[in-house]
Amino acid sequence: MAMDLDNMLQMIKDRQWALADIDWDAPGAELIDPELHAKLKPFLSDLMWIENVGARGFAAMARKAPTPTLKSIYEHFHAEEQKHANAELALMRRWGMLEGDEIPSPNVNVQLVINWLDQYSDGMSLSFLGTVIPMLEVALDGALLKFITDEVKDPIAQEVFKRINADESRHLAVDFEVMDMLGHADLRKRTIDFVGGWIKPSLLIGTLSYVPLLNKMRDNIVAMGVDEERLYGAIKRYKSVGERSEYVRRLPMYRVVSRHGGWVVNRSNTLYHFPVDTLVKVTSLIPFPLVHRTPAWSQELTYEPTA
Amino acid sequence: MTHSVAIIGAGFAGIGAAIRLQDKGIDDYVVFERDTRVGGTWRDNTYPGAACDIPSRLYSYSFAPNPEWSHTYSGSAEILGYIDGMVESSGVAPHIRFEHTVTGVVYDADAGEWTISFEGREPERARAVIIASGPLANCSFPAIRGIEDYEGHKIHSARWDHDYDFTGKKVAVVGTGASGVQIVPELVQQAASVKVFQRTPGWVLPRINTETGEFTKSIYRRIPGAQQLARALWFWGHESVALGVVWNTPLTRVVEAVSKLHLRLQVRDPWLRRQLTPDFAAGCKRLLMTSDYYPALQRENCTLVTWPIARIAPKGIRTVEGVEHQFDCIVFATGFDVSKTGSPIPVTGLDGRVLADEWSGGAYAYRSVAVSGYPNLYVTFGPNSGPGHSSALVYMEAQIDYITDAIGQLLRNGWKALDVRADVQEEYNRGIQRRLTATTWNSGCSSWYLTDDGFNATMYPGFASQYVGQLRTVDLQDYRILVHEEADAAAVAAG
Repeated sequence: MAMDLDNMLQMIKDRQWALADIDWDAPGAELIDPELHAKLKPFLSDLMWIENVGARGFAAMARKAPTPTLKSIYEHFHAEEQKHANAELALMRRWGMLEGDEIPSPNVNVQLVINWLDQYSDGMSLSFLGTVIPMLEVALDGALLKFITDEVKDPIAQEVFKRINADESRHLAVDFEVMDMLGHADLRKRTIDFVGGWIKPSLLIGTLSYVPLLNKMRDNIVAMGVDEERLYGAIKRYKSVGERSEYVRRLPMYRVVSRHGGWVVNRSNTLYHFPVDTLVKVTSLIPFPLVHRTPAWSQELTYEPTA
Repeated sequence: MTHSVAIIGAGFAGIGAAIRLQDKGIDDYVVFERDTRVGGTWRDNTYPGAACDIPSRLYSYSFAPNPEWSHTYSGSAEILGYIDGMVESSGVAPHIRFEHTVTGVVYDADAGEWTISFEGREPERARAVIIASGPLANCSFPAIRGIEDYEGHKIHSARWDHDYDFTGKKVAVVGTGASGVQIVPELVQQAASVKVFQRTPGWVLPRINTETGEFTKSIYRRIPGAQQLARALWFWGHESVALGVVWNTPLTRVVEAVSKLHLRLQVRDPWLRRQLTPDFAAGCKRLLMTSDYYPALQRENCTLVTWPIARIAPKGIRTVEGVEHQFDCIVFATGFDVSKTGSPIPVTGLDGRVLADEWSGGAYAYRSVAVSGYPNLYVTFGPNSGPGHSSALVYMEAQIDYITDAIGQLLRNGWKALDVRADVQEEYNRGIQRRLTATTWNSGCSSWYLTDDGFNATMYPGFASQYVGQLRTVDLQDYRILVHEEADAAAVAAG
């Protein structure tokens, strides 16, 4: 049955929370294992920037929304992703990971995605953004959050991640509903959208930014001593949820993203992983200042509950 | 005692109607005003920077030309002075009853009279009623979650608190419509910081407001026809804009391009430009005319906040990105409670029919001024009388001329009532709604022009000249003419 988006919007408005609802100075920060503490900063920093990237993605989708309700939902999601990033920054501060007012920099691969989003995301169609952003949410956001929730015993972190997870479950519900909606378009429209999207050179640049990001995050997870299967489980979830709807399956771009997910989780697919891992290595050699851009939307992160 | 005419409201429309009644020799009229002074919208809207975005030469009555306008576009104080001047020079002042809040009007079909009731006063009766209370008369704080919990100072743009000192204060402005974009450039000069909460950006066009020199004023004073010529030039200039603003045409894209160029020239940061770029057709919501707003937004002490508002907390505004923005004062520039469904005051017509019930799905009228079943009752700025591209005063002048003509005929001929025919009214509205489908207002944005169901009961889909043209003559064949029984009997006897 189709989702009632008006009800969903009302629910989103009813379930709002703020940084000020959380007692950031409450005891529990000391419960983090010192070994984990050392590794956590770059990991959380990546997570925070991926939330920020998701936020920008939703901002682009709000522009393409076919109805005022969906537009408003995406505007809320845009802000909620920003809130998640803010909350993660506040956790880093709680755990003493930030020097003064420091906002940690993104890694090169995230930065490349930031640059791409800044330049091209508003020009992408909803059928492209609406299929790729959910993968980022499921795979990266979802998997990384799940990992931290399991590993970090700080009760405040648990509270924060519980709230973020509740938000994310609504995001995913809408994401798949919209994919289902897009899948209802006739073959001609779906084909034009798909072919029209792929003939843009910007999409090729986007793909070259997106593809190494997944492998890079896998490497980061492994470096943390975590089983990469956790990430793969999340990627597989994108496919398993999508497969439930025949209309989602009809979306060519869903098929591409989903198939690509299949390659990512299959480590023995050297045809895919060799070039992509090489790309990760190559991008890691890029001097950060060369790609570092600071669009205004990426400069709005704050750990302060009040302003 | 029964008055010939009762006018409800002493704003631009009420005062204009009174003057035109006098001009037509109808002196037995009374104006009921709930406040203690005239001026309506321009009495209420005294926020810093309040001004009209239509040139004064056109935002005035042609029967009351004013050679003394100080600028092309006038501020609220000068416009209020113009209304005061009209009251003084026309002799309508003795007819105005202040502090008379009308609570309802009921038609007495036997007598052919209306009973007007008031808050705390005895009712009065009149042959004809002109509801000139206007669409921009009532305002309230918006229904934002938690607004009642806010502990700081709250100000509504239409009820400005002139005693509040903004110096050194942290201020929020909620709303970026016509009032918001005028308030922000003033507040940033006084307050320590200003955060502007925007839900939807509007199309902004530059406004070049030049001072009118003494020489030009003397030309207007001395040369007959100079003011009329200037007014005509402004009128036709605005008429040409209708092609891009009223209808969604290729010229609409030109209006958008001019606005985007204005934005490009005034705002350097691409993200801020994106936040300020509308995603609806220009004209769909009211165009904003200002050259000061974008520079004000970029001042050191000003920030544009586009995150959706989650709720208002005791100390400030919580937005969905999780931050509580704290303030000493919140200014709500959120507009007016425009009546698009229901009636501005309770009106009971023939056979006990209630106007609010008939208009519950969206207001409608005949040529925006009369409603079938409510004889001798007229409204100014009624359903589908809003201009998107021209001066409301041009439209209002046509309405009051038409209404006072109709009332003049009623009184001169000793008729009991003029009641517009239901079939004519229906046909008129079918045409209006059909024509509205091609306009920018119905092109997909949500605005105060539309009801929640998307019905447009507000705007007139055409040129100002068309609107004025349809109100030039009272076509009696469009009305049922009711006569008094004695006159009826006399007519039968004579026959």
